[in-house]
Amino acid sequence: MIATMGFDERHVLPALRLMPYDRLVVVAGRDTFRSPGFRRLKALEPDLQAVGVKPFDLAASLASIRETIAQASRDGPVRISASGGPKTLTNAAILAAFQEGIEAWYCDPDPVRLPVLRGIRLEEAFSPAERAVADLLRRPVLYDRLVATASARGLARRTAHAAVRSLAAKGLIELVTGQGAVEVQPSSRFPLFRDHLRPAAKKG
Amino acid sequence: MTVLFGTLGWRPQSLVPTIRSTENLERVQFYHSDHVKSRDARSKVIEFCRSLGVPASAAEVTDAYDLLQVASQIRGDVRKERAAGAELRFNIAGGTRLMSSAALLVCILEGIPATYVHDETYREIPLPLLRITYGEGLTPRQREVLAFLVKNREKDFTETALARALGVHKATMNHHLRELEEKGGHRAPRGPERRATLDREARPRDGTARRVTACPIGR
Repeated sequence: MIATMGFDERHVLPALRLMPYDRLVVVAGRDTFRSPGFRRLKALEPDLQAVGVKPFDLAASLASIRETIAQASRDGPVRISASGGPKTLTNAAILAAFQEGIEAWYCDPDPVRLPVLRGIRLEEAFSPAERAVADLLRRPVLYDRLVATASARGLARRTAHAAVRSLAAKGLIELVTGQGAVEVQPSSRFPLFRDHLRPAAKKG
Repeated sequence: MTVLFGTLGWRPQSLVPTIRSTENLERVQFYHSDHVKSRDARSKVIEFCRSLGVPASAAEVTDAYDLLQVASQIRGDVRKERAAGAELRFNIAGGTRLMSSAALLVCILEGIPATYVHDETYREIPLPLLRITYGEGLTPRQREVLAFLVKNREKDFTETALARALGVHKATMNHHLRELEEKGGHRAPRGPERRATLDREARPRDGTARRVTACPIGR
């Protein structure tokens, strides 16, 4: 059983009482592991495995939980209790369960079995190249200059061209032709997406 | 102009920062449970919006722990706003965890930027834009069946009618539907869990044909 946890072990205990398990893995932010709630849980389940995540980072939590599921699946069937911790963490757990096609439960305190969506895949809606190009776009800029800047930052020219066209197809930028040159302009939708399009932070 | 959607729990502070930060805000639409503290929070949010001169409407969800029902309700409203040409933004910080998950699922399905508000600092956290694909594990024929059901989502089909519409023998259609069904989930002990790809009503006892529809998530 993989259980998400915040500072209060009481959100985890109903799942432990209601569902059989051989091994418990607790996924939580690192501060949780220093909390009295975690110590009490550890006293009840001395063999529990703790997996630390950044609970407010949905993408990172999703990746960690998927990895945890993959590891735990080697030993047998896995189920998730997404009942504790901040909503970004529980959302990540539910999405990971969807993607891996495993049972997910919400027990707080009554058990609610969540839908199983087998065979789905979750991925970033925008590619790293699209995000890199979007990050360069602060104001209208000539198409050629934008591609050149993206290339200077390490994108292949062909990839940069494709990213610009794709962002235009998704309605986030507009290509305006005038005086023999093409200008790239952020669309009216662009500001809504800007913060979500920032390139992912590099690891390490 | 932007319509801000949100889920609300007991704390107006989980929604207020996004109301403040949304540019060209036209309207706020949010969802809350029937809990008395959520209703109090609703009044405070509406009052806050009024002070800004922004119209706000609140919808009470029937069961704040029914992920699919909440998602279905929100998705219907989102599609109406989108059809009216509005740009959308979603704050998923408030409400029960399952309301928040339902809202996030709708954001993923509809490509809406979603935001979370930190529980202690009330700082806005933009969530990554994700998309969901569920056709890759299907054969071309299964994809065709599912696409047909999604396209004709307002109509009911029996297996026989579906076979006729797609020009295959009904036994072949039955095979495809069984395969599709197996690629879905199974029913929950509590709550209206639906299959990932399609719903087939249990065979009625009166011998009439059972209906086949794409499930809510596939729609």
